[in-house]
Amino acid sequence: MALSAPPPNRREAWGRRVLALAVVTAVAFLGLVGQLWYLQVLEGGRMHELSEKNRIRIRPVAAPRGILFDRNGLALVDNRPAFTLSLIPREMEDRNSVVARLSVLLKMPVGDLLEALERVPADSIRPVRVRRGLSLEEVTKVEERKLELPGVIVEVEPQRVYPTSTFAAHLLGYVREVSDEQMKQGRYRRGDMIGQSGLERLLDEYLRGRDGGERIEVDALGRPVQVMRREEPDPGAQVITTIDRRIQEIAEQAMAGKAGSVVVLDPRNGDVLALTSSPAFPLDRLTGNIDREEWLRLVKDPMAPLMNRALQGQYPPGSVFKIIVAAAGLQEGSLAPMDQVYCNGAFSLGHWTFKDWKAGGHGHVDLRSAIAQSCDVYFYQAGLKVGGDAMARYAQAFGLGAPTGIDLGGERFGLVPFSASRPRSKRPWQAGDTVNMSIGQGQLLVTPLQVARMMGAVANGGILWKPRLVQRVARADGSLAYSASSKMTERVELSPVVWAFLRNALAAVVKEGTGAAARLPGLDIAGKTGTAQTIAKSDSAKGQDHAWFASFAPADDPQAVVVVFVERGGHGGEVAAPIARKIYEAIFLQKVAQVTLGESG
Amino acid sequence: MLRLDRRLLQNVDWILLGAALFIIGLSLVCLWSLNPGRGISSLVWRQVSWVGVGLIGLLVVVSVDYRNLVRTAPVLYVLGLGLLTSVFVLGRTVSGARRWIHLGPLTVQPSELFKLIFIITLAWALTAGRGERFSRGALIGTFVLLGVPFLLVVRQPDLGTALVLVPVLAATLVGIGIRMKVLGALTLAGVAAMPLGWFVLKPYQRDRLLVYLDPFRDPLGTAYNVIQAKIAIGSGQLLGKGVGGATQSRLSFLPERHTDFIFAVFAEMWGFLGCLVLIVAYVLLVMRGFEIAAGTRETRGRILALGVTTVFAAQILINIGMVTGLLPIVGIPLPLMSYGGSSMVVSLTALGLLLSIRMRQFH
Repeated sequence: MALSAPPPNRREAWGRRVLALAVVTAVAFLGLVGQLWYLQVLEGGRMHELSEKNRIRIRPVAAPRGILFDRNGLALVDNRPAFTLSLIPREMEDRNSVVARLSVLLKMPVGDLLEALERVPADSIRPVRVRRGLSLEEVTKVEERKLELPGVIVEVEPQRVYPTSTFAAHLLGYVREVSDEQMKQGRYRRGDMIGQSGLERLLDEYLRGRDGGERIEVDALGRPVQVMRREEPDPGAQVITTIDRRIQEIAEQAMAGKAGSVVVLDPRNGDVLALTSSPAFPLDRLTGNIDREEWLRLVKDPMAPLMNRALQGQYPPGSVFKIIVAAAGLQEGSLAPMDQVYCNGAFSLGHWTFKDWKAGGHGHVDLRSAIAQSCDVYFYQAGLKVGGDAMARYAQAFGLGAPTGIDLGGERFGLVPFSASRPRSKRPWQAGDTVNMSIGQGQLLVTPLQVARMMGAVANGGILWKPRLVQRVARADGSLAYSASSKMTERVELSPVVWAFLRNALAAVVKEGTGAAARLPGLDIAGKTGTAQTIAKSDSAKGQDHAWFASFAPADDPQAVVVVFVERGGHGGEVAAPIARKIYEAIFLQKVAQVTLGESG
Repeated sequence: MLRLDRRLLQNVDWILLGAALFIIGLSLVCLWSLNPGRGISSLVWRQVSWVGVGLIGLLVVVSVDYRNLVRTAPVLYVLGLGLLTSVFVLGRTVSGARRWIHLGPLTVQPSELFKLIFIITLAWALTAGRGERFSRGALIGTFVLLGVPFLLVVRQPDLGTALVLVPVLAATLVGIGIRMKVLGALTLAGVAAMPLGWFVLKPYQRDRLLVYLDPFRDPLGTAYNVIQAKIAIGSGQLLGKGVGGATQSRLSFLPERHTDFIFAVFAEMWGFLGCLVLIVAYVLLVMRGFEIAAGTRETRGRILALGVTTVFAAQILINIGMVTGLLPIVGIPLPLMSYGGSSMVVSLTALGLLLSIRMRQFH
């Protein structure tokens, strides 16, 4: 079927249609002439006057960044107004002399100022922020000499303030001016402050808000006369996290001076109540001006303060892994609670001898006391009974060797070695590897967060939660921008008898075993200590073992999982368990206080 | 190669060529007054060299029968698609958009070149079927052929160029006599698809689009440009301030003054009367284009001529419209006036196409 007009008079029809298009075009051109007449002739005088003075300046009004709150509504970070020195390239008539004057006035290197200016077009009207956090004294100096400094302005911008310099540093992350690399994404403007790590980065889109601006009329000397139009900034959205600020603070205090990590989860829903990594980096130093030396010092620090140990540190789990061995053995039927083993302090396999941590051994032990006393000899034999593959399978079922899916970036996987998956080039899996694995040594690697999730599953009867950090994000107008409910990622299916046995045995660790240092009156804590040997044992300065204490409480109705990991801290029972005790004290403050009062009264 | 017989030369459209060269002359004066350097690297000299390259392109196109050009449309089309795609790989990002690719010391904007390829492909696709009747199949095929590059250009994002392609398609369809019912349906479909496009865009692209629709959303960026451009134009008044007195332009209050906003510079210097002269030159050029389109018998020539003319008309109208504050800001250069190699070369080549059609009108 033809869509066009019939063939006769084709030529004429074409000509008519082209003529019609030409007429439409001509009318449009007439419209342009009309607009020019209006602008140049009717409004010309006024426009001329405006151009004579060119009195219009445009200033950005920075949007306050959204606040992060803890689960109880306490702020984790806040904003305060800060003075920022900015240069407007287009208004700097003689760039070099202005920069020179400014450099003398504020004792800033000329090079830095010029470098900042060179990054933007010379006719940019957008202020280039050259220094944040000016003191009042410096602001006065600049304002007094305003006339000699055309194009130099002092802006008031909201800036982040933190409770303490390192508070929840890895969790919150730092905010800094957009980098050259990030500029290439095209989403930011030069000078924008954006989240560079942690939650600040994850939620940057929500937190950032939208800058406003104002059009002001200035007099010949550049002093503002009136605001002609003001576009209010949209403040960033507010984030309600799952963190409990009090617990986070206590955990950080308890870890002061140590390297390591504390993870506190709610086993009922996977909420992250606290997550620390120490040593931490100073948030406030990274937020303000870029201090190259400080940055290099942080990056090169052998203690790696920028690393979030809770999810990026991979360590052997040590005896904490015995929970997996026991679970596998009981569920598979290769271990029975009443089986007894005589521990004389050493175990021989072929020509190898594996020692128990306790010289002389534990004597007669069954599974429960082997867990409570962390008897290695029992578990060497248990591991051989259960087998390397079953241990690996249960370790993976409990979420080891896989990321937990927490919303923070850079999470590491850990490693669960498999006898079948060993690369051919290396030596084959041997019984000795199974023995090593049964006490959480060898190639096995876990992150503290994985251990916390695993303990959560033991506490709640098998549910592996995706750790939740953010409950919801609420826009300034109150509407919900984002909300996350608890997500179950995996479920470990064990017989109820096995769960009950495990909980009972773990409670015994604290009541009568290696975890006694965590004991608190009025609170039944279930936990497992771990002392993981490090490879560099010979290095005396660094040669201490990693200390673990993985636990939950109350044992019969678990409400909190606390995992303490101290890098090269020593024995888990001596170093990590007392830290967990302090944290439980904070969590169950009222409960513990009541009992203490009751006893003394 | 240049087999121009006398008969062809007799039919050179001197009015069209004259109008174009006159406008280029005004552009060079404008650029020189903005940046009166005499060095070989100054704006003017660079633009002069681009005019040279463009004139070579014009001569080449004039010497070739445009029907042969239309026959190579599939090759040009694939080449054009390749260039557009390469932007995403090799592209240089300037203020968030990937529109340019590097070729040695030059940066080329493929979407600019694609305007021309778009028209040639249009002529090829609509006449690919037998006879002079345009079938529904050819029409649908045309839409598929042109939809792909259109989306590529939108994704760069180069909304301006994409927007120019729409009136070209519309004018061509009107020209070939599409029934009003069909055109109406297509328009409705286009309008209906707009919200759909909204969801395809990335959040920051949406933001950008909103700024286009409402400049005051972004008081520091586009709104500033519009305000300053209006002041520049208006302050030129009836007679203009002359080359020396154009404070708005000289003191660099005006943004992008040598590219997209060059009309504002011109208007400040030469006033309403100067603008009138420039607009008359443009109207002359565009009307000659329509005349050539109307006077051509051969279908491919008709479509080509109409397409080229519409590209010119659309760009001129949109650019001046946005600089004078009638239309939202989109990145479209003013043909033959704005500084920029890709635009100048493509404009002159397109002009060559018009001349070529005119010369072979009576074959």
